[in-house]
Amino acid sequence: MRIPANPVLARELLVTLRSRTSYILQFLYIIALGALVYFAWPAAETTTRAVGPGKARTLFDIFFLGQFFLVALVAPAFAASGISGEKERKTYEMLLCSPLKPSAILVGKLASALGYLVVLILSSLPIMILCYVLGGLLLSEVVRGYLILILAAGTFGLVSTACSSYFRRTGSALVVSYLVILPLALLCVGLTRSDSPDVREFASLALLPPWCIAAWLVLSILVGRRLLHPPDLGSEGKDVIDEQEELKHAIGVVIDRDLFPDKLFAPAKRTDLMPDGANPVLDKELRSEIFSQGTLMLRVVIQVSMLLSIPLMAVLLFLQSERAAVYVAYVLTFNLLVGPVFSAGSITQERERQTMSLLLTTLLRPVDIVTAKLLAAFRVSTVLTFLLTEQMMLAYIMLQELRGRFWTLIVFLLIIAVTCLATSTLGLFFSALARRTGTAMVLTYLALLVLFVLPMGVVRYFEGDRSFSDSQLAAIAITSPYSAAFGVPMHTGRVEPGMGQTMKITNPILINVFGVQVPNWVLFLAIYPPFCLICYLITCLVFRIRWWRAGGLG
Amino acid sequence: MIEVLNFSKRYGDFLAVDDLSFTIGKGEIFGFIGPNGAGKSTTIRFLATLLRPTSGEGRVNGHSVTADPMSVRRSIGFMPDDFGVYDGMKVWEFLDFFAVAYEIPRNQRRKIIAEVLELLDLSAKRDDYVSGLSKGMKQRLCLAKTLVHDPPVLILDEPASGLDPRARLEMKALLNELKQMGKTILISSHILSELADFCTSIGVIERGKLLAAGSIQEIEQQIRSHRVIKAQVMGDGRAAAEAIFRGDPHVRQIEAYDRTISAEFEGQDDDMARLLDRLINAGVRVHSFGEEPLSLEEVFMMITKGVVS
Repeated sequence: MRIPANPVLARELLVTLRSRTSYILQFLYIIALGALVYFAWPAAETTTRAVGPGKARTLFDIFFLGQFFLVALVAPAFAASGISGEKERKTYEMLLCSPLKPSAILVGKLASALGYLVVLILSSLPIMILCYVLGGLLLSEVVRGYLILILAAGTFGLVSTACSSYFRRTGSALVVSYLVILPLALLCVGLTRSDSPDVREFASLALLPPWCIAAWLVLSILVGRRLLHPPDLGSEGKDVIDEQEELKHAIGVVIDRDLFPDKLFAPAKRTDLMPDGANPVLDKELRSEIFSQGTLMLRVVIQVSMLLSIPLMAVLLFLQSERAAVYVAYVLTFNLLVGPVFSAGSITQERERQTMSLLLTTLLRPVDIVTAKLLAAFRVSTVLTFLLTEQMMLAYIMLQELRGRFWTLIVFLLIIAVTCLATSTLGLFFSALARRTGTAMVLTYLALLVLFVLPMGVVRYFEGDRSFSDSQLAAIAITSPYSAAFGVPMHTGRVEPGMGQTMKITNPILINVFGVQVPNWVLFLAIYPPFCLICYLITCLVFRIRWWRAGGLG
Repeated sequence: MIEVLNFSKRYGDFLAVDDLSFTIGKGEIFGFIGPNGAGKSTTIRFLATLLRPTSGEGRVNGHSVTADPMSVRRSIGFMPDDFGVYDGMKVWEFLDFFAVAYEIPRNQRRKIIAEVLELLDLSAKRDDYVSGLSKGMKQRLCLAKTLVHDPPVLILDEPASGLDPRARLEMKALLNELKQMGKTILISSHILSELADFCTSIGVIERGKLLAAGSIQEIEQQIRSHRVIKAQVMGDGRAAAEAIFRGDPHVRQIEAYDRTISAEFEGQDDDMARLLDRLINAGVRVHSFGEEPLSLEEVFMMITKGVVS
C-alpha cells in the first residue's frame, strides 16, 4: 500500500491544509520557540564553552518536556476523533463499504492526525541544534530526545485511534485516551529524565522502542479487526440504552441513580415536569448522561482512573508521604486533560448536533445558556477529578504525619477545585469562540499549557540565576496550580510514630505583594476566582454577540 | 403579520439574497418556493432572528426582527430544515424542555404537552427516547415543539423533506389543520405539489431574487400571456394545421407529434379564438382545441426559466 495513494489521508490532509488555523498555529509555535531561544541565549561575552553547558542542558530539558507534554496533549485531541468522528458524521458506513483495506484507513487516519504534530516537533529541530551548539550536550542525546518524541507520538496516537474505534463518541474516546496516556506519559518521563545516565540510556534505547513497537502492532491488529468486522454499525435504536439490561451485565462498579454519591455522576431521570423558573438547559445537562452511553462509559472511566491511581497512591501518599504534592500534581494533570473535554464542546456541540437554532429561537437569554453549560461542565469535571482525591483523604486519615497537618489537605483540595473551575471556564470560553469542538479543545489546551505548565518551565530555567529573587520567580509561576501545590509546606521525610512533633517542615514559597510576604498558594487561590468570573462574563458577551444576537448561524 | 423589506444578505462576494420584499397577511399560508440554494433558508433564518441582514428589515407580528428579536421569538414557532435532537431525552421531556424555555407555567404544561402530542399523533410515543424515533416522527416532534407556546406565526423550513409518501400526506393534513386553527404560516419547499393544495399565496425565489409573489391565481394571471395551447386534429390535417400555427403572430414555440400540436401562445382569448377560426376555415378537422391547464410545477418552471420577469 502506497501512502500517497491513500484517499483517507489525502482527504484529511486537504482539510488541514485548507484551514488557515493550522498555518497560524505553526507560525505562533515557531515564533514562541524562537523568542524563548532569543531570550535564553547567553549574552555575547559569556558565550564560552564554560558557561554554555548548564544553560544548554536546562534549555534542552525544557524543550524536551514541553514538546513531550504537547505530544501527550495534542496527539489524542487529533487522533481520538478519527474514527468516532466518522461515526458522528455518519460517514463511517460509506468508508467501510469502500474497497479500502482497514490498514489503509488506519494508516490514513493516524498519519493525518500525527502528520501535523510531527511537523510541529520537527520545526523545533533547528532550536534543539542551537542547544547542541552551546555545548555540553551529546548529539546522541538530541537524537534520543527526538526518538522518544516520535515513539510517544505514535503510541499515543494509536491508543487514541483505538479508543476512537471502540467508542461511538469522540468525547468518550478522548477521556479514555487521556486516562490511559497520562500514566504512560509520566512513566516515560520518569524513565528518560532519570538522574542516572545508565537508566536514561537503557530506557530510551533498549526498553521503550521494542515495547512501543509491540504496542503499535497489537493496537493496529485490534483496530484493523474492528474495522473489518465492525460490531457498532448503524445507529437506529442503538442510541437508546436499556439501563436495566446494562446493569445485569455490569462488571465492577454499579451505578445506582437513586443513591447519593451516584446522583453526582448520574442523577435520576425526570419522572415529572420541571418546576417553574427552572433553567431548562441546566436541568437537561445535569440529567443527561455524561457520555451518552448509559452508565457504561462512566463506569469504565471510574474503574480505569481508580485502577491507575492505586500504584501512585501507594508510592506518593503511603510510602513517601512527603511527596503528596506530586500526587496532587497527578490529579491536577488529570483535570487539565479531562476538564476541557466536557467544557470545550458544550457550545460548539449544539451547533454540530444542529440543535443550536432550536435553542436560539426560544426565550432563553445568553446568560441562562452559558451558566447552565458552565455548571454542567464544572460538575462533571470536578466529580471525576475528585474521585482521585479519595486516596488523599484516606492517607490523611491513616498517616500520623499527615493527620497533624490536616489543613494542607484542605488547601490541596481547594487548589484542585479552583483548577477544575479554571479548566471548565476556559473551555467554555473557547467553545463560544470557536466553530468546531476540535478547534475549541486545542485552543483550550494551549491556553492551559501557557497558564499552568509554561511558567514552571520558565522558573526551572531561571533557577539559580542571581538576577531573579525567589519571590520574583514564584510570582512568575503564580498562574500554575502545580507551583501552588508544591508551595504548600510539607514535612521533609518519613516520621516514625511518636515523633510527630519533631518533624521538619519545608518552607512555604513566599511572594512579595506590596511589601507583604504571602504564600504562593494563597495568591493562586485568590486570583483564579475573579479571573474565572471575568472569563465567564466575556463568554456570555461573546455568546451574545456571536450566536444569540442573530448572525452566528449564517 | 410578516413583512420583509428590502432584505439583502451577502457572504463575502456572494449575494445570497438580493433586495427581497414581500408581505404575508394574517391567516395566510405563504409557500416559499425555489430551487435548492435560491436563498429560501437564508430568508427564513433572517425572519427567525438567526441571521443578521446585510441590509433591510423584517417585521413579524409587528415586531422588528433586528431590533426586538425576543418579541419575534415569542411570536414564532420555528422549524429549521435540518435539526438535531438531544440524546437521552424522552419525547415528553423534549417538549417540556422547550415549554420551559418558552416560559410556560408548570400548571399549563402538562395539558399543552398532551394536546400537541395528540395533535401530532405522537401520544403513543410519549415515553420513547427522542433519538430512537424515525425521521418522520422526529419531523413531527419538531413541529410539536414549534407549537408548545401557541405562536400566531409558524416558520417552517422544508418540513416535509426526506419523508416517505405517507408521512408527507400526514404532514400535509397536519398543516391543513394548523391552517384551520388560524395560524399564519410561512413554509418553504422545493417540491411544489406539497404546497399547491393549501397555500393561499406563493413567492418564487431564484438566485436570491423574488421572481413572483402573490396568490396562485394572481401569478397565473401574470403568466396568462404565456399560455400553452394544444390542438388535436383528425385525419392528415396536421401539416396544414402546423402551417397555420406557424403563420400566427402570437405563436412562439411549436411541438408537433402524431395528430397533436402544442404551442406556447402569447395572445389574449380573442387571438386564440381567431386561430381556431383560421384552422376551421382552412378545412382542418379539429378534434379538440384549448388551453392546457398549468400545474404549479409548470408555473414554477416558466417563472424560473425567466419567461416571466
